[in-house]
Amino acid sequence: MPPCARGAPHPVGARHTFFLQKCVAVSEDAGRQVRGGADIGEEFKGRVLGTNATATDVYLQHGTSQPMQSRLLPYLLTLPSLLLAAVVIFWPVWDLVQISTHDVSRFGQLRDFSGLTNFSALFADPDFMAALWRTGLWTVLVVGGALLLSIPVAMILNMDFYGRGLARVIIMLPWAVSLTMTAVVWRWALNGESGMLNSALMKLGLISQNIQWLASAETAFPMQVLIGILVTVPFTTTIFLGGLSSIPDDLYEAAALEGATLFQQFREITFPLLKPFINIAIVLNTIYVFNSFPIIWVMTQGGPANSTDILVTHLYKLAFRIGKLGEASAVSLVMFAILLVFTMIYVRLAMREQRA
Amino acid sequence: MSLAKWSVGLLAGMSMLALAVPADAGEVRVTVAEYSAKTGPYFEAVKKEFEAANPGITIKYEVVPWDVLLQKLTTDITAGTNADLSIIGTRWLIDFVQQDVAEPLDSYIKPEFKDRFIDTFLSPSIMGGHTYGLPIAASARAMYYNKELFEKAGIAKPPATWTELQEDARKIKAVGAFGFGLQGKEIETDVYYYYAMWSQGTEILNKDGTSGLGTPGALEAAKLYKSMIDEGLTEPGVTSNNREDVQNLFKQGKVGMMITAPFLSNQIKEEAPNLKYGVAAIPAGPTGARGTYGVTDSIIMFKNSKNKDEAWKLLDFLFTKEQRAKFTQGEGFLPVNKEEAKMDYYVNNADLAAFTALLPDARFAPVIPGWEEIAQITSDAMQKIYLGSAEPEAALKEAADKANGVLKK
Repeated sequence: MPPCARGAPHPVGARHTFFLQKCVAVSEDAGRQVRGGADIGEEFKGRVLGTNATATDVYLQHGTSQPMQSRLLPYLLTLPSLLLAAVVIFWPVWDLVQISTHDVSRFGQLRDFSGLTNFSALFADPDFMAALWRTGLWTVLVVGGALLLSIPVAMILNMDFYGRGLARVIIMLPWAVSLTMTAVVWRWALNGESGMLNSALMKLGLISQNIQWLASAETAFPMQVLIGILVTVPFTTTIFLGGLSSIPDDLYEAAALEGATLFQQFREITFPLLKPFINIAIVLNTIYVFNSFPIIWVMTQGGPANSTDILVTHLYKLAFRIGKLGEASAVSLVMFAILLVFTMIYVRLAMREQRA
Repeated sequence: MSLAKWSVGLLAGMSMLALAVPADAGEVRVTVAEYSAKTGPYFEAVKKEFEAANPGITIKYEVVPWDVLLQKLTTDITAGTNADLSIIGTRWLIDFVQQDVAEPLDSYIKPEFKDRFIDTFLSPSIMGGHTYGLPIAASARAMYYNKELFEKAGIAKPPATWTELQEDARKIKAVGAFGFGLQGKEIETDVYYYYAMWSQGTEILNKDGTSGLGTPGALEAAKLYKSMIDEGLTEPGVTSNNREDVQNLFKQGKVGMMITAPFLSNQIKEEAPNLKYGVAAIPAGPTGARGTYGVTDSIIMFKNSKNKDEAWKLLDFLFTKEQRAKFTQGEGFLPVNKEEAKMDYYVNNADLAAFTALLPDARFAPVIPGWEEIAQITSDAMQKIYLGSAEPEAALKEAADKANGVLKK
């Protein structure tokens, strides 16, 4: 494995196994230079400026006759973490399945088996359905917004300029503050009568009357999305910075010599080589944002009249305000299923793109 | 593996075992709700005094903010790791009793002990003839008004009826302040609406046990608030203001009138000592009906407690006159102890007198399972009405149907 992996700029396990497979395939065929080699050659010919696959595959070609390793070894090596995952993931999920399919007291004592009653109650509840759609909107807007903002931010921070260290620290700072505290501060800032935002806008002459930001969903939800983006940017930028620093400078030099404009360089070099990192950022951020509780809870508690509820806040109210643990467990299973399906589909799509 | 490593492992294992050992005999664990910054220090002082007087008993507290108290109790009880005693909202008590986690205290309560309490406040903790909790905190609501704004607007005395309140609010609006502070967010949003509803002679539950939200009185009350919002007699953005937000506006002198609990007096004393305010009764409706919200929090003993006798000793200590006076005066609650209520502090306090005068009109949260859900349904309906996203009639009908669904279960 080591000679193959050398230089592969991908930090994530899922992709490692993919490279491992390719690596093994290449090693097997290495002596005869059959399919694998031919593919790589063609791909290399096709895209002079280097796309996602080529840079890696160049390294792969160096990985010559590595003795074939036991196919069992990777599984053995992942076994301990698999067991750990089983304990921390599968056991609670099993517990949730139990609670959600039973009539359950508010303190979690299981009573009669009730089948899917809790689930059908959920889907008959307009508040749940509204929260479900809103969660989708919330996730897409926050993840998308953070992505769009983080790419230019990361590119700027990757340039060499005076005070870059300071700029990086400033961008990363929101990450160091707890999400709840950020939300509390924003709640103050958005207060209709004594909030900072209103008085700032007033002083700038942009508004003549206080805006009641949190009084209705029309203004509250967009603000929550903006704050969501703000707190997601540092993490996303960090991922992209890692990705950008792995792109060799000579690619840009060569492109510049050939007369490529900055935009062309971005489209042909930066973006394709950043793609694996973008994929990772999308998957991880989607999981975080989909499950993100503090911003919405602290600012509006999902209100007024449940109009800013997302699934987690809806779940919290169901479980700890109203005491319907069965339905709340059903919500969390639905959330788990959505995320699982999303991640599986997305990883599949991303992988296929890599292979194509 | 070397011997050293083995012994490290052994130590780790032993420390885990130590954690698993049940609480020491003589240790009383108490879950305490944090009412204010004074709650923690008060209970620490109790610990010192009590442990000195009762060698062999140690007290351990878990101080939790109110917002997460029910969540903590739910998870603790589910896991069987709950404390021996806990403060709870009395409105939750019925769930605790029905789930059989609360210990009836009748065998401990002697006539002398029972006689210490003012009946109004002890009775909400009695269910089916058994006393399950003791009122650790009691409160009611009354109307605060800003004397300076009243003077400026040329209003002689606080309004006695809702019609007068509307007129006064118009006058206050004319001098550039918000007439009536209306709470429209978070805990007690429903209660703020009940003040108007009770004055229409409508109760939360009708006599036949159905929800009162479907009655004409409930509609009148909702229309009253909505018309005040539309006329600009309340603060703007009602649905973005929780109780604290409205109280802050009052402390800043921006609001003419608001309804809230006695603890606002304490806050004003510390944060806005120059504010001239008065406390008056909640306005009455056309028939003279009026209602205030009475609240008690109870301290309960858990059925699975292993140190019940020790826990009772602590309860006995907490409910002595001296301890009660310290706690109640610090937090700004109403006295629950008869002897305590006779102390000068309460007798000579005009603010508190206004609250105690309202006690005959006090309604406590109805003791029914699913009450929290009905409160949530009511708050949601009010927010829709305040926002104008639903007509009062339609919103109330929907809420009444939902509440009746809960009540039938």
